Amino acid sequence: MKIRADVIRTYQKVHTWTGIISGLFLFIGFYAGSLTMFKPAIEQWAVPKVQIVAQTPIDQIDQLVVKATTEFEKAKQGFIIEFNENASSMKWYEAGGGRGLRLDDELVHASFNENQQVETQQATKNELGTLIDQLHRTAGIPGSVGHEDLGVLVLGIAAGLYFLALISGVIFLLPTFVKSLFALRKNKGSSRFWLDSHNLVGVMSLPFHIIIAWTAVVFAFHDPFYAGLSVVYGDKPLFERGERSEHIYQLNELPKIEHYINTVKTIAPDHTLKSLDFSGLDTQSPSVAIELQTQTQMMRGGYSDIIFMNPFTMKISYSSVLNEQSSAYAPIVKTFFGLHFGNYAGDLGRWIYFIMGLMGAFLFYSGNLLWLEKRRIKQPQQHKSSKVMAALTVGVCFGSILGVVATLVATKWLYLFTQVINASYLYIYYCIFIFAIIISFVKGAAFSAIHLQRLIAYSCAAIPFTSLLLSQNSDAIEFTPSNMTLNLVASLFAIFFYLAAKKTKQRALTGDKNSVWALDNKFKEKQAEYIAVK
Amino acid sequence: MSRLSEDEKIQPHWWRKSLIGFFMGLSFAYALVAIFAWFGPGGIDVPMKVQFNMWIISLIWLSIMCFIFMFRTALTAFKALLIANLIAYTLFLTLRWTL
Repeated sequence: MKIRADVIRTYQKVHTWTGIISGLFLFIGFYAGSLTMFKPAIEQWAVPKVQIVAQTPIDQIDQLVVKATTEFEKAKQGFIIEFNENASSMKWYEAGGGRGLRLDDELVHASFNENQQVETQQATKNELGTLIDQLHRTAGIPGSVGHEDLGVLVLGIAAGLYFLALISGVIFLLPTFVKSLFALRKNKGSSRFWLDSHNLVGVMSLPFHIIIAWTAVVFAFHDPFYAGLSVVYGDKPLFERGERSEHIYQLNELPKIEHYINTVKTIAPDHTLKSLDFSGLDTQSPSVAIELQTQTQMMRGGYSDIIFMNPFTMKISYSSVLNEQSSAYAPIVKTFFGLHFGNYAGDLGRWIYFIMGLMGAFLFYSGNLLWLEKRRIKQPQQHKSSKVMAALTVGVCFGSILGVVATLVATKWLYLFTQVINASYLYIYYCIFIFAIIISFVKGAAFSAIHLQRLIAYSCAAIPFTSLLLSQNSDAIEFTPSNMTLNLVASLFAIFFYLAAKKTKQRALTGDKNSVWALDNKFKEKQAEYIAVK
Repeated sequence: MSRLSEDEKIQPHWWRKSLIGFFMGLSFAYALVAIFAWFGPGGIDVPMKVQFNMWIISLIWLSIMCFIFMFRTALTAFKALLIANLIAYTLFLTLRWTL
């Protein structure tokens, strides 16, 4: 395909600039997003068994609700009924609750003991899964603007630039598209290899990337978009307002749990019930959020569909479950969400999204490396910008990964000492992340790339070792099939990063000594030694 | 193919083109969505259409941002988007006050 040379040059520039600005934010967004594909498995890994109380049989839940709501003040306001065998049947918030991320939410788990008395256990809600999700959405940038996280807005802008980078990348790749797409030239130097794999990954997963970029922009900026749209709509309201009921219902008017189960069966026959979340029971606007799951259809949320209704009148105020009355637009909009969350093909779909997400992270990492290669000059002193970018790339990418892996390792060990560990996750992550960036600037990209990758390898290896060591301590750990997978995946990453560190070291010692990836003169003796051994 | 002269080649004009795409592209996206919202399939009152409309704004906007750099100069980009905006808004307002 022939394209004018000036068009190609223009879009090469667009690609470079949008890519280099947004790449590091997107790297974190993508690899952390991959992890959120298995948020339940991570939560299961993070939460010790002691925090879950015995299950209450379905036919006794109504009695449990009656007793708990008479005995406990907070349960009168609202409570959650879970239909998952790995969770406590009933719980409520003693502190916190509602939307948003807090580190000090206190959950009370309740069940019946042998004497049909309510037995409770209070624990701080573990937020590791939510924190990884937060990292995915904000790239770890703290702070908020209005009621939106600053990080979400920054990632929204990065996603917009990323959309431009994708299209411009395709435009300037078009002329050589067919010829070099599947060429993975290993013998033409490392920069060729990076370029070929960058192009291959980018083109092969292009639809995925376009969807992710666009949806991320919408997720970040839906409020301003709606604000603009309300001008277009004029006097028409964008959304119906929820109505308040005239009087406050009494708790004993609450229908039995079976009634909800049957209602859900008729509204959503293809879904299974996950949980009922009652709130505001003592107010004029009581609500129950019904979470539902399906393995084979698009879902509106990451892991579930949701129906909001008045728990006393069963009047639905919002439902993401499609039915005959849904307009033609409902499934389309739902598809946009489902395509971002990768929730429409069960575990297989999640694994595919997991791998695609990691390939996306690779795309940004390799993109930055290509930029550095292009700017390499044949003299000992490289451009300052090259050094800075190399240090940032290594520090941010590997620092962030190391921080997350360290929290995953630490969680079980911390629970041996205390039940209040959410804040520790943040300390561990940010300390390691900042330390990695400082080390990269002080010691150079080559040194830190080698050692950070090694540290990641050791930390990943520490996950299966933690499982082994703490399996003796039956309180702190619960082995389930999903934890075995987590151990296996951690082991694979340990091997991968160990080999990558080795490769990086090899290049640092034997590659072009002017590159930002070369270790400096102090290591020259070591180099001689290394070559001699080889 | 004969070589293009300097004047025929795309001029960079990065900032000007970016700003034109950002603002005029956004307003054009809203114009198209406005026409679609009121006069597209289902009209203004269909449930869930408002969400669909909101989603589509960014898709049009981002596409314009992608192709704005194809214009030879910032001025041609400005003229093209000005005309596109004028046509779209005239159409919308005419439809809105006559139908």
